[in-house]
Amino acid sequence: MTTIFLIIHGLVAVALLGGITHQAFAACWPANGSENIFSSFRAVRGASYTNSMIALYILSTILGGVIYPVYRLFGRTYLEAAQLWEINGSFEIKEQFIAVGLGMLPFYWLVWRKPLEEKLAGARAATTAILCFIVWYGFIVGHVLNNVRGVFGR
Amino acid sequence: MSATRVIPVFSAAFAIIYAIAVEANLAAITYHPKTGAWGWLTQEATDGPAMHWYGWLITALFGALIVSAVALPVTRTRQPVAWIGWAVPLATMVVFLYLLRSFFFY
Repeated sequence: MTTIFLIIHGLVAVALLGGITHQAFAACWPANGSENIFSSFRAVRGASYTNSMIALYILSTILGGVIYPVYRLFGRTYLEAAQLWEINGSFEIKEQFIAVGLGMLPFYWLVWRKPLEEKLAGARAATTAILCFIVWYGFIVGHVLNNVRGVFGR
Repeated sequence: MSATRVIPVFSAAFAIIYAIAVEANLAAITYHPKTGAWGWLTQEATDGPAMHWYGWLITALFGALIVSAVALPVTRTRQPVAWIGWAVPLATMVVFLYLLRSFFFY
């Protein structure tokens, strides 16, 4: 069952990663009207992503919380025995960043609320960029941890 | 103006209270994964490790809700600046990097 939850956790994270990256680029580096792939990537209506991103972030956190005990009992024990302190610490940072991101979600909703307020453009870009960083960091750390024996095999 | 004006305060308070909860280990609940048992407040590890992350989140949530409720009347006359909603959490993330540095520099 844990494996199923882990796979769903990963799939939800992929959806979240894609959406929040589009939205962050749209907020921080708006499209200039040209039709190349870089401009098209940024040319999304960011506000329409907000509720879905919040739902995916919460769902991903819940799923992570469900499989966390298995990691605590077996994964972390292995990391400590193998003295993989940097990997262990990377996950510790992940859990704290994810928690801080959870607390930011109401503010994230506020700054993307329609109609968009021009005076909140800076806060909108900063908040989305921070959440995007948290999601990318969590995704990469989670992936490395999931493959830690193969990658670091000690 | 609606109660949404207090949201920047909530996000800032959540980050600060969460950091305090982690550093002082103030968990509202504790989970013992080996036995599957839950307990109130911060409990020491007995049979297997004890998990406090869920409890820290609850502590931060209720703490931030209380701070927001207290701040709500104040924000009727003084609108909180928006940047605290992202700058304080960002600063908290930097603080966590510092607090967890021993995993990387030993």
